[in-house]
Amino acid sequence: MTRLGRKLQLFAAFLAASAAFAVLGGAVAQAQAPVCSVWLIESSRFMKVPFGAFMPDRAFVPGSTNPNNNIPTVDLPVNIGVIKCGSDLILYDTGWKQQEYLKMTGSEHWAPIGEQLKVLGFNAADVSKVVIGHAHWDHAGQLSDLPNAVLYVQKQELAGIEWALNYPEKHIRAINSDPGGCNRTPACGYMPLTMEEVYGKVLKGKAVVVDGELQIAPGVVIHPAYRAHTAGSQLLEVTTSIGKLVFGSDAFSSYEAIRDWMVANVQQTDSVQQFLAYERCYKITGGYENCIAAHEPLTYTDKYPITKNSWVALNGGRMAEIALAPGEKSRKP
Amino acid sequence: MVLVGLVVLGWRHELRSGAGLPPAPTIAAQKPEPRALTAEEESYAAALWEIHREVTPSAVAMSFAGIIHETGSHDKNQLERKISPVATFFLGAEKRVRALSAPPTLSQVHNQYVEAMVLYRKASDDMLAYAKDGERQHLIDAHDMSITASQAILRAGEVLWPGQYKPH
Repeated sequence: MTRLGRKLQLFAAFLAASAAFAVLGGAVAQAQAPVCSVWLIESSRFMKVPFGAFMPDRAFVPGSTNPNNNIPTVDLPVNIGVIKCGSDLILYDTGWKQQEYLKMTGSEHWAPIGEQLKVLGFNAADVSKVVIGHAHWDHAGQLSDLPNAVLYVQKQELAGIEWALNYPEKHIRAINSDPGGCNRTPACGYMPLTMEEVYGKVLKGKAVVVDGELQIAPGVVIHPAYRAHTAGSQLLEVTTSIGKLVFGSDAFSSYEAIRDWMVANVQQTDSVQQFLAYERCYKITGGYENCIAAHEPLTYTDKYPITKNSWVALNGGRMAEIALAPGEKSRKP
Repeated sequence: MVLVGLVVLGWRHELRSGAGLPPAPTIAAQKPEPRALTAEEESYAAALWEIHREVTPSAVAMSFAGIIHETGSHDKNQLERKISPVATFFLGAEKRVRALSAPPTLSQVHNQYVEAMVLYRKASDDMLAYAKDGERQHLIDAHDMSITASQAILRAGEVLWPGQYKPH
């Protein structure tokens, strides 16, 4: 063998050894990756929503026997993710606060976030991080009831709202839905009280404006999903004992929509970006089963398997235990 | 438009026993329907709405000016430029709301709304004061007043426009 041949042989052996170490190292890292425990709580439920208003491809057609078009209305849960990773207690979305003066016609089963967390054995003051999938009023409320939590909001979400607010045409900058105010227009749904709570977190130095992707704890990663529901929607990848989960807020409004590749809950939404958000979940989790939807009517039932380990808790609102880290006790009564 | 109609029609108040759902108690779920407004009250609500639809984005704009200031440049001149038109707006909005003639049945709602305009105006004045002297307590006070004002307009809105916020 020539000198060059021996060198090439040595180099090849070095590459093979490096690859073996890399594979071994990866396996070890995967084995040691921290896993989180995950629960889902129903902040409230919007009752009797016309299916077609939620998913256009599922609009009710009287007399139809097509399973896609024979359901007139659906009840939509407002889901909050509760994620415990080591000493971190993280919420994904925070529902809304049903003050005594704000009953929200058509909404039922609301309970305060602090009381709901107590059912799971946690205190509101223990929540260390809050990731809001977007800043609409029914997903980013109750922030002032989580005094120690650091808020994570996407920079593009704030930029999108600010752009709409400064638009000269009144319908484009409208905040309220009725009467004749806004329906799915750019600033629709960002009510003053909600945005003041976001500002309150900023003012107290308890907010992180995220620009793109960010790991916020071992095994917990924010992924931007721009325009998948709003300008700065963001997903949350969570590593658990049953594999990776991805929370999607309203980018993933419906589990069935992710499964069947249909749009859902179109607001400030680019449907192409919503589909790409679905694809992100497929890529991260290996399918659609571990994509956690915000408003799926089948949540807490066998028809949405990852949420089926459920029970009825406060005021008729439901909860589900999705995954437990090794050594973590079950919170299911 | 049809879709909008579907949404509005869908906001019914009765419980639905969904197949496959865990049973939910019905006692706490029963709430009274809001009373229908009289013609006079409707007229007041319509007049106030024309102001209200500009109040909400202005209130959000005030929060946003604070957010941008705190997370961005910390430029007090920029904050002043953003808040000045908001302060002017709330001064005018307060006068416009006061000038409305509310039916006796809505006098409490009307007074709540006027008070909210006063608070928003004071809040914007406090933010302008911060822009001048840099005293952060102004921002904290302004934030507290804005929260109270926003709760007040939600109270009024629950009577006048109970469907003003849809699920999003």
